[in-house]
Amino acid sequence: MPSALDATTNAQLRRPNLPLITLPWLACALLGLAMLMLGRFLGSYQETLMQQVGIFAIAAVSLNIVNGLAGQFSMGHAGFMAVGAYVAAATTYYGSLLHFNTAELQPGLFNFGHVLMLIGLLAGALVAAALGYLVGLPSLRLRGDYLAIVTLGFGEIVRVLLQQTSPQVNGKDPAEIAAFTDAPLRTLARIPLNGALGFEGVPAYATNLWIWTFVGITCLAAYRIKESSSGRAFLSIREDEIAARAMGINLTKYKVRAFVLAAFFAGIAGGLLAHAGVTTSPIDAGFQRSFEIIIVVVLGGLGSISGAVLAAIVFVLLPQVLHPIKDYRLVIFALLLISMMLLRPKGLFGVREIWNILPRRAAHTKPGATP
Amino acid sequence: MSTFLLDAQNLGISFGGLKAVQALTLQIPPNALHGLIGPNGAGKTTAFNLLTGVYKPQTGSMTLNAQNLMGLPPHLIAKAGLSRTFQNIRLFGELSVLDNVMLASHCRGHHSIVATLFRSPTFLAQEQAMRRRAMHLLDLFALAPAAHAQAKSLPYGDQRRLEICRALATEPRVLLLDEPAAGLNPSEKQALAKLIQTVKAQFNLAVLLIEHDMSLVMQVCEQITVLDHGCTIAHGTPSQIQSDPRVREAYLGEPTPTPAGT
Repeated sequence: MPSALDATTNAQLRRPNLPLITLPWLACALLGLAMLMLGRFLGSYQETLMQQVGIFAIAAVSLNIVNGLAGQFSMGHAGFMAVGAYVAAATTYYGSLLHFNTAELQPGLFNFGHVLMLIGLLAGALVAAALGYLVGLPSLRLRGDYLAIVTLGFGEIVRVLLQQTSPQVNGKDPAEIAAFTDAPLRTLARIPLNGALGFEGVPAYATNLWIWTFVGITCLAAYRIKESSSGRAFLSIREDEIAARAMGINLTKYKVRAFVLAAFFAGIAGGLLAHAGVTTSPIDAGFQRSFEIIIVVVLGGLGSISGAVLAAIVFVLLPQVLHPIKDYRLVIFALLLISMMLLRPKGLFGVREIWNILPRRAAHTKPGATP
Repeated sequence: MSTFLLDAQNLGISFGGLKAVQALTLQIPPNALHGLIGPNGAGKTTAFNLLTGVYKPQTGSMTLNAQNLMGLPPHLIAKAGLSRTFQNIRLFGELSVLDNVMLASHCRGHHSIVATLFRSPTFLAQEQAMRRRAMHLLDLFALAPAAHAQAKSLPYGDQRRLEICRALATEPRVLLLDEPAAGLNPSEKQALAKLIQTVKAQFNLAVLLIEHDMSLVMQVCEQITVLDHGCTIAHGTPSQIQSDPRVREAYLGEPTPTPAGT
């Protein structure tokens, strides 16, 4: 006769494997296909909106690792994004000047411009992750509000430092390009990121297909982290640091790990933003953008990956839907947020995912049955 | 080399002018069941916090199985084989019962981020082993049917047992139980006494027990140390402790002569 243990163990062993491997992959493939097809039916404005949704989703899912899973309140996420954005923007822009002698968008589905973008994304993510390591270190001694202030300060430092950079090489002026290609290192040593005006003219290689591919990668990575021993370690720190330590969790290691992972993917989100045809400006590192990402994460539910993606969609599209009521839309938007917090203070899904809300709820009613 | 598994000598800590624990010596042989008792505020939980590294001892020495534990952070002490429960339950409330136990086996594994992201075979095997072991422990504590419930949704008595279960998942050599019987009814206390002895025998570990319930302590402990105001006032077998005048004094107050005229 199979005991209760066997039944539960087998069910438990099988349960995560199915959605783990198939669901995110399936979602990825479907989304990718949708991106390719939808591009044909949507106007450029709608495409821009979808790009924004995707970038917001990556930013929110990554912030969720540190805010939602590890419970460390970071308010400097936009700082990491901006670092990734500038590194990626500079890589592609100056790489294009060196290689193509122009910063114009190169035609084709995949060319060296895309390679430059990918190199830039990786470089930006790595630099952001390195800064995440630095910002993560004080989180060992700082808790709650104090950590929030430190991370807020980080974002502001990034913003102010970016404002001090020197003018960029004008990609439309052949003389300047020639001067740059003659002595690229000397020019780059001036950190030509265009200061407060914002870095312009980065070729827009990040189409919806690219952005949503990275949304898929980020979600898959975040999900795999969440459903792993590291994810449990993060959650235990969020729940009770003293107990987590007593159970053998190295707080230093896991808090810093959460910051590094979050910063890495924030760097990718920033890098994609820089390639989405907009000017990358120091304001992007400011606290306003950080707050927006926090709102999305809280709206979706601290710790819920699918919740963060859904909330990103709502957050970007809701103001558009409310457009007909003009000036009142921001009021409605704020009211919706407030009522959301009153009705569902844990966000849309809490710590759970869309697909395990129903089975988990069924499991919830059981514990009373234990002897 | 000492024959004791846990050998703590002269541990002491003061907070400002308050000497919370002074010259605490605890020597626990393998497979012993040792009681730590004392009136409220005697420093019992502080002693636990010293042993588990929550507070750094200012004086003394401490070894577990000849490994020096002095000054180690809590997670390394847990890895060395000292695990505890908490007086006021400290479960990871939002996590499932199973995840609470799986988490505690963390210090026995490797958790590289690359292996996690790419789900390497070793990572998957480790997760499965952790899960199987956790389910085995839960089954032992009759908690397996609630494995997927949130820890905070468990009834109080189950939460107490889950704490012990979680502490065992770190694979300790010495298990520290901080008032495990608090809030339990008499029949639950009896069940707990049996559970502690079963666990001790089955996992081949030593148990250090803080408890206010004297009948439970006297019933299960082989050796007892009594603290009062941070000092060790007595040490011995349950019968020695029961007849010790200093222990009676600490618990019941000084025997004062009856004032005249009443």
